[in-house]
Amino acid sequence: MRKNPVWLWAAALAAYAFLYLPLLIVVLYSFNDSRLNAEWVGFTLHWYTELINDTNMLVAARNSLLIAVAASLAATVLGTLAGLAIYRYKLRILPILAVTPVAMPEILLGVSLLLFFNLVFRPWLGLELGMWSVIVAHITFCIGFVTIVVRVSLLGMDESIFEAARDLGATPWQTFRLVTFPLILPAVMAGALMSFALSLDDFVITFFTAGVGVSTLPLQIYSMIKIAVTPEVNAVSTLLMLLTLGMIVLASRIHGKAIQSTGV
Amino acid sequence: MRGYSCVNRRLGRWVVSLPPTLFLLLFFVAPSLIMVVASFRFPGEYGGLAPLVEHGRWKLTLETYRFFFSDFIYAEIFIKSFGVALATTLICILMAYPLAWLIARSPKKHQDVMVLLAVLPFASNFLIRVYAWMIILGPQAAVARAVNSLLAAFGFEPVTLLFSPFAVLVGMVYVHLPFMILPLYTNLAKHDPALLDAAQDLGANAWRRFWKVTWPLSLPGIYSGSVLVFIPVLGMFAIPDILGGTGDILIGNLIKEQFLGTRDWPFGATLSLMLTLAVLVCAGLAAWLARRGVGRHA
Amino acid sequence: MRFLALLLLWVSPALHAADVLHLYNWNNYISDATVARFEHECRCKLVQDYYSDNEEMLAKLAAGAAGYDLIVPTGNAVESLIKSRQLRPLDKRLLPNLKNIAPAYLDTGFDPGNRYSVPYAYTITLIGYNAEKLRELNLPTDTWAVILEPKYLAKLKGRVTVLDSQRELMAAALKYLGYSANDTDEAHWRRARDLIIRAKPYWAAFNASSYIKELTVGNIWLAHGYSSDMFQAQQDARQAGRPFTIAYSTPKEGAVLALDSMVIHKSGPRPDLAHQFINFMLEGRNSAELTNLIGSGNPNRAALNYIDPAIAANQAVFPSPDILRRLEMLRDLDRTQRRVLSRTWTEIKVR
Repeated sequence: MRKNPVWLWAAALAAYAFLYLPLLIVVLYSFNDSRLNAEWVGFTLHWYTELINDTNMLVAARNSLLIAVAASLAATVLGTLAGLAIYRYKLRILPILAVTPVAMPEILLGVSLLLFFNLVFRPWLGLELGMWSVIVAHITFCIGFVTIVVRVSLLGMDESIFEAARDLGATPWQTFRLVTFPLILPAVMAGALMSFALSLDDFVITFFTAGVGVSTLPLQIYSMIKIAVTPEVNAVSTLLMLLTLGMIVLASRIHGKAIQSTGV
Repeated sequence: MRGYSCVNRRLGRWVVSLPPTLFLLLFFVAPSLIMVVASFRFPGEYGGLAPLVEHGRWKLTLETYRFFFSDFIYAEIFIKSFGVALATTLICILMAYPLAWLIARSPKKHQDVMVLLAVLPFASNFLIRVYAWMIILGPQAAVARAVNSLLAAFGFEPVTLLFSPFAVLVGMVYVHLPFMILPLYTNLAKHDPALLDAAQDLGANAWRRFWKVTWPLSLPGIYSGSVLVFIPVLGMFAIPDILGGTGDILIGNLIKEQFLGTRDWPFGATLSLMLTLAVLVCAGLAAWLARRGVGRHA
Repeated sequence: MRFLALLLLWVSPALHAADVLHLYNWNNYISDATVARFEHECRCKLVQDYYSDNEEMLAKLAAGAAGYDLIVPTGNAVESLIKSRQLRPLDKRLLPNLKNIAPAYLDTGFDPGNRYSVPYAYTITLIGYNAEKLRELNLPTDTWAVILEPKYLAKLKGRVTVLDSQRELMAAALKYLGYSANDTDEAHWRRARDLIIRAKPYWAAFNASSYIKELTVGNIWLAHGYSSDMFQAQQDARQAGRPFTIAYSTPKEGAVLALDSMVIHKSGPRPDLAHQFINFMLEGRNSAELTNLIGSGNPNRAALNYIDPAIAANQAVFPSPDILRRLEMLRDLDRTQRRVLSRTWTEIKVR
């Protein structure tokens, strides 16, 4: 390969620095012994202990996890079905339905769901906003991601294996259970993990659809940023970063296997 | 056996496609339609919406649209949001291109790691990344003090970096940069190095090689990245909220305010509808440009 | 797996439903000691949610937030809640301590006969400032001019914040122009708007809550805010040993008096506990605790015995009749006026 010019290295490194400097500062200042996030004073784990004692934060974390688990499970099931259907039956409407929530600005989805829940669910079903409204909202925008991932995985597969199963006398359900599903499983897992990470991190849609007393981590962080910016925010940010990092690495590993497995 | 599998195939089609379709019709299409209708309704006296049918008559109105078009200020905010989105996209292209190009030209075994490194910041919560800039650009932090002492040396007034349009732009670029890096890299990685070698053999210098070979081939990547940056930026409100100063509201802030401040839902719905139309126009434009571009340089 | 998740979802909130009182309150508007004492007395748990602006609270309620037993809205918001039939009428039999409230604060225009609300505390929206800095710059501290007139603002560029509240900021400008804070004449609104736009370049930010910290730290020298917040800033600065003091005063042109009342929301599950809380807060000692903590005005006569004399003498907390005459309570606006105000506010933010 030809050698890369110096300026290219410089520009690329500058971009990397730009990406990482803020994060490094957040992590660094989470250990800062000062209420104000202005200058470095000394090392302390105080903010982490305060974090563990902060019930609001813990409740928010619990809510975030519950919502993420429920939403990613449902989105994975529905998204896998959608991916299969689009691949198999060459549908035209479902792809648009699934992918548009992903492509539009989040605020539109949040606002329309808020209106919907208020005008339909409250008067007709007597249901108030709550955690369920957040879960439904998250499922809506996560389905698209899973659909895309599953469909791409299916596209990369060799059709002949399905034909072979049919020729050997397998019913469609058996083909799915014994051939298709094991092959798309890595993609499904990757989609599930991505949905989990997206749901955990979501702010805008949760902001509009959360009910009374339903606080998630992003909502809690937002209120802390607006009012009291102590290094506790840094501490929770650092921990969140580690968690989401773990999920994404896991997802990419599994997705890598998914891509490999399509070359059966 | 054949007939059985035909019926089964029909059944299979419904079983598989119905659940997601129903879910999305209920929780995506219905809400969108409700939003469209809401923009034609009257606002409730104390917030929310007035009843749709009163005394047996439909209560719909164009009043909200008239209000939207009656004052140029709303169009102004739209234009401003478009400007910010455009600026963010351009800056992202400028910053992402060298990085994506470097990764694409690196040995295969390094590429995965380099891409992962570039995308990793995306792993952190978006609010945290915005908050990080509050620290960096804060008046007591190193950057602000350095900039201001430099300005003072030349006799200029000190500037506040935080709570300014500059801070909003930095925040927007920072949050969306990974969305530009990935599509660009995916595209650049597919370029055949033989083309560049051929160009060099024919006597082209580095700049011509880039401009005539690499750049046109990378256009589809630029389009995907631009769409992934431009559209989300249009709807953002948290970044201007946190990093912006007294005048930096964008269309997202205005929409949020109608629902969670002024309690004027019809107007919020109207604004949302206008934003949707704007997004559709941009997406359509991008698709058209991409088709043209690909056609010419395929 | 999904069932388990669903089960967890349903079970965990239910586990907390027993004997919980949900209070939707302003930030920093009740002392921890009071909360602890109430929880001990009623053998229940008090869960708080916060808001920093009446409009925010009203909007959240309009958007379907439910399950709050008690809310502490200001007069104009009480008016809106009553008219939109969101409140439960009070059972006066459960509120024997109601007699403690000074008659001047009962039977207000927004709730005649106190059918739905009971006064809690009041604040005045005024200006707080770094006393040393303003003296040094030779600036007046008893007029709205100091946040609205460029000739004063030029010395304070980037060191002033104002409230991020449509009603409050417009009220300040209207009072300065000599109009009523409840004036709905669009021509007057336009004059107020122009005044604000002219002053805006000198302001650092629109800020509803963190100006306390900014004043205490010394980043901001002048802030438009609530008297209770200014009191807090004053205490904080003293405790932190700052080389300056924070002072606050009511502008001579007049200001907004915000009387906050306790109301019971229709959707709250525990009106019994809510009444208990209201009666508890009507006791002199409990009511005084808030005043001593945050320096808010107190409409409760029985509380006077328990209030710190320094605070009782503070004109900005307990205004003399002279100042009281210049204070006004805000009234609610109808939907057309709200829309016009919203556009005015947008113009203020954008121009």
